[in-house]
Amino acid sequence: MLEFNATLLAQIADFIILLIFLRAVVYKPLTKVLQDRQDHIENNVAAAEKERQEAEQLKAGYEAEMRRAREQAQEIIQKASKAGEDQAAEILENAKKETVRQKEAALAEIQREKDKAMAELRDQVANLSVLVAGKIIGRKITDDIQHSMVQEFIKEAGELPC
Amino acid sequence: MLSFEQVEERLNFWQWPHHPYEVTVGNMHLAFNVKTMVMTWVVMILVAIFGIVATRNANMRRPNGTQNVLEAVWEFIRGLVYENMDKKKGNALLSIVITYFIFILFSNLIGLVPTMSSPTADYNTTMALALCTFFLIFIFGIRYKGLKYFKHYLEPFPLFLPIIIVEDLAKPITLTFRLYGNIYAGEVLVAVLLGLLGGWTHVLGGFVASTIWLAFSIFVGLIQAFIFTMLSIVYVSQAVADHH
Repeated sequence: MLEFNATLLAQIADFIILLIFLRAVVYKPLTKVLQDRQDHIENNVAAAEKERQEAEQLKAGYEAEMRRAREQAQEIIQKASKAGEDQAAEILENAKKETVRQKEAALAEIQREKDKAMAELRDQVANLSVLVAGKIIGRKITDDIQHSMVQEFIKEAGELPC
Repeated sequence: MLSFEQVEERLNFWQWPHHPYEVTVGNMHLAFNVKTMVMTWVVMILVAIFGIVATRNANMRRPNGTQNVLEAVWEFIRGLVYENMDKKKGNALLSIVITYFIFILFSNLIGLVPTMSSPTADYNTTMALALCTFFLIFIFGIRYKGLKYFKHYLEPFPLFLPIIIVEDLAKPITLTFRLYGNIYAGEVLVAVLLGLLGGWTHVLGGFVASTIWLAFSIFVGLIQAFIFTMLSIVYVSQAVADHH
């Protein structure tokens, strides 16, 4: 038959002593190590996640910057090409204007030369006419008279259409 | 062929006394099983050495051999506890059930060492441990539920009160005798096999049966330590569970 004796009580006491000992000496450092390890891993994971987020932000920033740079480049190119076109148009315009101006100048010159030639011609014609007239008349006219006559003639000749 | 008692006598290497050591304190008469007590102290010292070795150079980054073992045990049992109850309540129980596991495992296994015997092969030891669980059930139940804990004796129907009381009493008794029976039977069978197959049969291969039985006893010792721990966790978790 079963006979429980004081061993039972002693074993309870033994177990409690062992429990207290293990709690104080073994479990405390063990839980500390496990907790440290868990914290360490959690920190690492958190740090990795944070770094990944930062990297993604950086990447997004760089991509935005690149896009902006590309847009700016596009804009610059467009501006440049527009400016080039404008300049070309302006140059062309200037060239046209210049051409027109030169043409007008040339025409004016021609006109002036023509006028000059006409004037000289009239002079010559007048002188010759007067000389011829003098010879025909046979008498010598004074320079004064000649001059006034020439002037008169020029005047008349000027009114002639030619 | 020797009888069991004869084998026991021959195996009594340390000359354990056959009768309990008796002390009288005042008018109280106390008797102690000397073999069980001494073996318990040996186991306690071994457990303490194991624990100290495992945590002496506890390293967070590179756990060494013994530390790995203790960590594995710790995390395995912590998993069991957290599966059955929430973490806050579980942490209070954790160190107790881990001590159960390590202490019972060492107790079971030391009986397989020649000339040693298991403290758990004495029902006084297993009853002591089972009573600890029995009290833990009440301590945890009252601590987390107050006097409302006792309401479950009348649920779902007051008529079931005797059944529930029997259930409560059955818990420590089954814990006691499951562990005691397995380990004591293991020791008895070792002795019986030695008696049956003594003398010349050992030379002719009689040791094979003992060897196989020792190997199986290692397994049984491990399983029984686990079962005791697991059941203690389950009983306590039932007491603190919120749904009833």
